[in-house]
Amino acid sequence: MKPSKKKSFGKISGLLSAATCSLLGTTSGHADEWDIDSAILIYSEKDRVSAVEPVVSMKKDLNETDTLSMKITLDTLTGSSATGAVPSSQVQTFTRPSGKGEYTAKANELPLDDTFKDGRGQFSMNWDKAVDRNNRRNLGFSFSKEYDFLSLSGNGSWTHEMNQKNTSITGGINLELDTIDPVGGAPEPLSTVPYTIGGGSVSGSTIRDGDSKDRQVIDLLLGVTQIIDRTSLFQVNLSYSMADGYMNDPYKMVSIVDTDAANLGEPELNIYESRPDSRAKTSLYGKYKKSLANDDIITASLRIMTDDWGVDSQTLDLTYRWQMDRGYYLQPHLRYYTQSAADFYRYFLLDTDAVPEDVSADYRLGEMDATTFGLKFGKTDRYGNDWSVRFEQYLQTGDGSPSEAIGQLRNQDLYPDVEATIVQVNYSFKW
Amino acid sequence: MKTRPLLGHFYRGLALLAVISSLGCSSMGVQPWERDILANPEMEMTADALDLAFDEHIYFSKEASSGGQGFAGGGCGCN
Amino acid sequence: MRLFSALILSLIIFPAFATDVRDISEFNLKQYQGKVVYLDFWASWCKPCQKSFPWMNQLQDKYPNDKFSVVTINLDTKTGDMNEFLEHIPANFAVYHDPKGSFAEKFKLPGMPTSYLIDTNGTAVKRHVGFSKSKAPKIELEIEALL
Repeated sequence: MKPSKKKSFGKISGLLSAATCSLLGTTSGHADEWDIDSAILIYSEKDRVSAVEPVVSMKKDLNETDTLSMKITLDTLTGSSATGAVPSSQVQTFTRPSGKGEYTAKANELPLDDTFKDGRGQFSMNWDKAVDRNNRRNLGFSFSKEYDFLSLSGNGSWTHEMNQKNTSITGGINLELDTIDPVGGAPEPLSTVPYTIGGGSVSGSTIRDGDSKDRQVIDLLLGVTQIIDRTSLFQVNLSYSMADGYMNDPYKMVSIVDTDAANLGEPELNIYESRPDSRAKTSLYGKYKKSLANDDIITASLRIMTDDWGVDSQTLDLTYRWQMDRGYYLQPHLRYYTQSAADFYRYFLLDTDAVPEDVSADYRLGEMDATTFGLKFGKTDRYGNDWSVRFEQYLQTGDGSPSEAIGQLRNQDLYPDVEATIVQVNYSFKW
Repeated sequence: MKTRPLLGHFYRGLALLAVISSLGCSSMGVQPWERDILANPEMEMTADALDLAFDEHIYFSKEASSGGQGFAGGGCGCN
Repeated sequence: MRLFSALILSLIIFPAFATDVRDISEFNLKQYQGKVVYLDFWASWCKPCQKSFPWMNQLQDKYPNDKFSVVTINLDTKTGDMNEFLEHIPANFAVYHDPKGSFAEKFKLPGMPTSYLIDTNGTAVKRHVGFSKSKAPKIELEIEALL
């Protein structure tokens, strides 16, 4: 399972678009056009994953009160990803998740699973309706498919405006159903990964469950947008998310290391991770936008999240749009993110430890900071087409030498930096 | 499982939201014909939506947090 | 400068499409006494206003000029924005530019756009907030009732 699911507040299926149009009483031959936003993103991690993602988003006014929007996203992913296993002073060999073939990690090298090739397609559709002057309703549907993962979601929201439209309140709900079919079947959590250290081939197999796994997620959101004055406004959102079902990453493992003086800190075996079967998250988000005297725009946002896995995070995002002549602009961007480790996160387990009910060495659940620096350059044209080019540089860092490291682990980086570069090109036009 | 403190956070957030919206109702805002700058597409809360969507997808697969971000609001306030 | 060249261009090439733009200080409802007036408040940043223009052009053509006038007040703070709009969507009715919004304040506009139907005595008898093509036939009936 590749956990890069897009959690969108989604859209309705393509087959319905013609039906929807007739349902809403629109006739063909309407002068309105589609507003199309097309983009392509190239994502590249240093030594790890690479992805190319083209997106097309389209929006059209069906009539005076109804707007239809659709979005298609394609994703191709290649490269390798950290499995959670620790590096060793010797060569390590692991079986691929499919059960066919092996991959190795050199001495003092972080084990990376390079079988990670994935394609994803996502389609979403959204119907926005102005019920009356002060009320809007939004309904949507989304569908996403990868070779080992299927996600279906439906969402609805209602927006009420007051104070001569200076204040708007939105309440929304999103329901998501995921089906996970891990390659080779879902491994029994905490079971042993077929593995050899010091060379030689791997023997043994894992207990795998041939059945599909599933998960349900409910998201609730409440938001207030308030105009402050002629040049500024802010938004505050409160959201609550509850997920139930299969929460594990079936490809991630935890190393159990030797406490004997002879092989201190060397991984003896690896076990598949196990996460709780539910997760509840609360987050508070605030965003502020201000237009300056020279037409520049500052945007600042802060998100605070806490969940019942013990993860607490803060995200600070700042952009400054430097408006130039004839619609050109330059927009530097800064994002700072920090999170605490999940309660059940471990760098590794000692062979003298009792194996906990829930344990994961997935770096994405560890304590870390991440900084993004970005720059966007483009042109907007009120009566024409817009384009832009965006560059972003992402650096994620954590403590690679935790105090609990013993023996050879002290010589290893147990939380290597994740560095990624993003290049994105956008073109918007009417059709 | 820490659901009780989590609900506590949720209720506190709700209270904060209620305070903010009641403050907003009285002192802040503009006349309907003063929304020229706010009507600018770049001043919408959903400006750069495609970028936000890309970023959300990337960060969802590299970090433990996701979502919570926004809906529209502001804008020209027409019709 | 842009307005000047637009006017010259429009005078030479599209004589029918030069928009009559004046400052709000020149506006006097009394000069329309005896006529039914459709008074519309708009701005370039208002999307429904873009949709209302073709219909208002039709209105001006539909009813006799000596009995009916479409008169509009533009609330753009920047003249350039108003001119750019009129270049793309020309009007065959009068536009009075009120950048400070003084007239909008007087009328206490509840939303954008807002239009008033004024009878031959200069009394505002109907107000419409917002514009949609579906409302247009109803407004036409109201105008006809006053004529």
